Amino acid sequence: MTLTAPPTFRPAGGGPDLTRAALSGRRRLTNHLATAAIWAAVLLAVVPLALVTYTVITRGGGVMSLSFLTEDIPNSYRRDGGGMAPAIVGTLLITGTAALMAIPLGVFGAIYLNEYGKQRPLARLIRLMADVMTGVPSIVMGLFVYLSWVLLVGAQTGFAGALALACLMLPVVIRSSEEMLRLVPEELRQASMALGARKWQTTLTVVLPAAISGITSGSLLAVARAAGETAPIIIVTGIVFSPNWNLFDGSNTALPAQIFRNASQPFDAAQDRAWGAALTLIVIVLGCTVLARLISRRFATKER
Amino acid sequence: MNRNVLSRRVLAGVALVALALTGCGSNDNSSQPGGDGNSSQPGSGGGSAYADLSGELTASGASFPDAYYQEVVEAFKSAAPDVTVTYNATGSGTGKKQFGAGLVDFAGTDSLVKETDGVAAGSFRYVPTVAAPITVSYHLEGVDKLQLSPETLAKIFQTDITTWDDAAIKADNPGVELPDTPITVAHRSDGSGTTSNFTKYLEAAAAGTWKLGSGDTVAWPANTQGGEKNTGVAQIVKQTNGAVGYVDLSDAKATGLTFAAIKNKDGQFVEPSLEGTTAGLEGAEVADDLSYNPLNAAGATAYPITAPTFVIVRTAYDDANKAALVRGFLNYLLTEGQELAEDADFAPLPASLRDKALAQIEKIQG
Amino acid sequence: MTLTNPSPAAEVAVRRRGHGALGDRVFSWWTLGTGLLVLAILGLILVTTVREAWPAFDAMGPRFVTERVWDPNPATGDAIFGALSFAYGTAVSSLIALLFAVPVSVGIALFLTELAPRRLRGPAVTVIDLLAAVPSVVFGLWGILVVAPALVPVYQWTHDVFGGVPLLGRLVGPVGSGRTFMTAGLILAIMITPIITSITREVFGTVPRADKDAALALGATRWEMIRGAVLPHSFGGIVGAVMLGLGRAMGETIAVALVIGGATNITANLFAPGNSMAAVIVQQFGESTGTFTAALIGLGVVLFAMTVLINVFARVVVRRAEARMKGGVA
Repeated sequence: MTLTAPPTFRPAGGGPDLTRAALSGRRRLTNHLATAAIWAAVLLAVVPLALVTYTVITRGGGVMSLSFLTEDIPNSYRRDGGGMAPAIVGTLLITGTAALMAIPLGVFGAIYLNEYGKQRPLARLIRLMADVMTGVPSIVMGLFVYLSWVLLVGAQTGFAGALALACLMLPVVIRSSEEMLRLVPEELRQASMALGARKWQTTLTVVLPAAISGITSGSLLAVARAAGETAPIIIVTGIVFSPNWNLFDGSNTALPAQIFRNASQPFDAAQDRAWGAALTLIVIVLGCTVLARLISRRFATKER
Repeated sequence: MNRNVLSRRVLAGVALVALALTGCGSNDNSSQPGGDGNSSQPGSGGGSAYADLSGELTASGASFPDAYYQEVVEAFKSAAPDVTVTYNATGSGTGKKQFGAGLVDFAGTDSLVKETDGVAAGSFRYVPTVAAPITVSYHLEGVDKLQLSPETLAKIFQTDITTWDDAAIKADNPGVELPDTPITVAHRSDGSGTTSNFTKYLEAAAAGTWKLGSGDTVAWPANTQGGEKNTGVAQIVKQTNGAVGYVDLSDAKATGLTFAAIKNKDGQFVEPSLEGTTAGLEGAEVADDLSYNPLNAAGATAYPITAPTFVIVRTAYDDANKAALVRGFLNYLLTEGQELAEDADFAPLPASLRDKALAQIEKIQG
Repeated sequence: MTLTNPSPAAEVAVRRRGHGALGDRVFSWWTLGTGLLVLAILGLILVTTVREAWPAFDAMGPRFVTERVWDPNPATGDAIFGALSFAYGTAVSSLIALLFAVPVSVGIALFLTELAPRRLRGPAVTVIDLLAAVPSVVFGLWGILVVAPALVPVYQWTHDVFGGVPLLGRLVGPVGSGRTFMTAGLILAIMITPIITSITREVFGTVPRADKDAALALGATRWEMIRGAVLPHSFGGIVGAVMLGLGRAMGETIAVALVIGGATNITANLFAPGNSMAAVIVQQFGESTGTFTAALIGLGVVLFAMTVLINVFARVVVRRAEARMKGGVA
């Protein structure tokens, strides 16, 4: 901490630094204390992240292997070996299907808000409710899908999990896409309209392409969040020990649910699998996040 | 009973059953009748009675016998390579619900079917499979031998007793040095047949002392810990000095827990063991529908907290192949499969009860 | 195509690309439909859950939220479903989370906007992004296997040292296992830090440059500038961010279910086990039947109502604060 280097921070347009030396001891102390507290806050956030990362990498890395990624889940917690293939398949299929449902719907919803509804009362209500919906606990979404879908079709399926995740993604996609659409310069729309394009044509061929990378990046973040959701998966998709590629027939499983199941086991074999699944899940989630960052960075440079 | 729909292989299975019953057998390989004719499965399976079964069985239910069922499922793979059996340890309640809704072919349950379970009366039969002691596992540094009477046990789990050096515990354990460590009671956070059996035992053995009633979920006192499944309780006990919880023997042993000897109906302190369990089963009365209750059974060597577990099957299946699969798998479970029980720390059924169970399977129609 | 449009420019357009008019209508209805989907889902959640929870509400009446006993199988009498102790657990764990997360988040946000050397800003943002990216179940796994056992001696020490102090002593009572209100609160704090940080940071970003410069020009130290210019300006936004974090903490299920201890408990002792509404649902839903199931869904209804209220309040506060600031800048 370089407390003795006041020149490193001098606001643009600030006057000559005459007062600094003349500061009373108490004021100087308060300032130093506050600075220290702010640094401490940053460190406090770094510590748990470092600890989690360290534990997941060391314990998860210990079991990570090709067979862990490709083998079935042992049907007994106590048995060594086996893998997480069914959960990886489940996570990818369920999250992917949820994204296929939520992203198009969410983008059209965003188009309504930004291109049609604007500041009308209905649009403002939808906007507020989309924000509220992002705050609906995932367990409630799980109960909702259980009551309105699982009971209806009479079976726990991967698709039910996809429905729940889609409901969780939808508002996030709507709000992030709307932000991106808002960034599209009005001139583009006017130019397109002036050339005689209808509004829907303008929206689909001019506005949407202009915002597409931002929308993709926002949607990917929503997908990453959804991939880690546990509670609805536990309630609506059941469990399997070997991969089920069919989302509409039979139960399924996903990495978060496997982490949860294995986390409360006293057996080393099960705990190892939980850490391995955690590492796999984090890699998938981080993959989405990094991809999103890359896309948005490209978008940002293009804009300039 | 429409006997003429029984396929040849099921008759073979019944023959096997008869042999297994008389031989009580360690000589299963020689008793397998599959070799007599058109079995097309040479090699590994040796043409077992199950080899020409094919299809898929899904089941869910009790987590209590899960470790044993999974061993049987694994072993059944080599006896019947074309059959996939999935047993999903969702808990007894979910199992019964799913069975009632037709989602699974059979269900495992630790408790009997109640009106609210969603299974129509008369549509199912009980098949007892194994039994196992519920241990009172504890973690108390410096103490590796502990004896508890039912009343003391009830007081501990009601948190009437809060430290390990309480007079009641001392009275049960003359000469044992007990520390003043506070007691952490661990119980199931999810609904559970194990909870139901454990609390029923306390209700029966510590009547007058036990006030929490019995059931899959009971109102545990504040300041007790809940764990997910038996293994979750085992995890808490393992992690926490001063903890005590009820865990099935199999999970308790696999976790490396120590457990208390419990005073039985005859006044003897008995440690949980498979012999003590079988002794308890012999002292239990079996009803006509094969439900039975070995809790707090009489007998000098009987371990008193012995839990039965059942599979419920339909009286009739719409699909004949499904019925054959269910019969085949359960036959296996009650014959060759019973030998796997002890390895997994479950007590096989006594011969008399197993007879009845096998006869029950035979009644399945479809 | 009987569209009559008064605008001459549009008329030209209609004549040139007549099919487009229908397209426009269909398209706008379609987008409106997807927008309405949000309202429909929220409405359906309310209707289906309330309907399924009704037997429990009907049986318990207002006692559903005022009763502390949760006993599906009582020794005598009818089942009792009182959500109070779970609501208490939800509230206590969330408040602990806020207590730790808010100062840290505001600190990080100040660091990012006012203090960080340029080369540290990027890494600091990455730390927050990474924290946000770790799924909650992973924090739960870490909590139950690593944090909870490791905290037992810490709790024990705290109890031994401060247990005798009046009032405070009641908060740091005897320790059982490491699965407690406190552990749940700490894990939640880590999980809500990113969301509070990112919103607070945005709010700090809207503080007019001129205000800050003015404070500094008057000879204020950096801290005095923050206290005098940044914080008052951002107060509304911070409140909104805190409420959003609170909503998130209350709804968190899995991590809490793993580390809170699973006991029906109302106590001042933060080192005691308890349970939260969301956690109870996921623990007991599978094995429930009849009114018991209805009661668990009822917990979901209460949770839904509480989080919706908090979120509406938070959004309105944030939006108002934003609007006021934009007005201030202009």
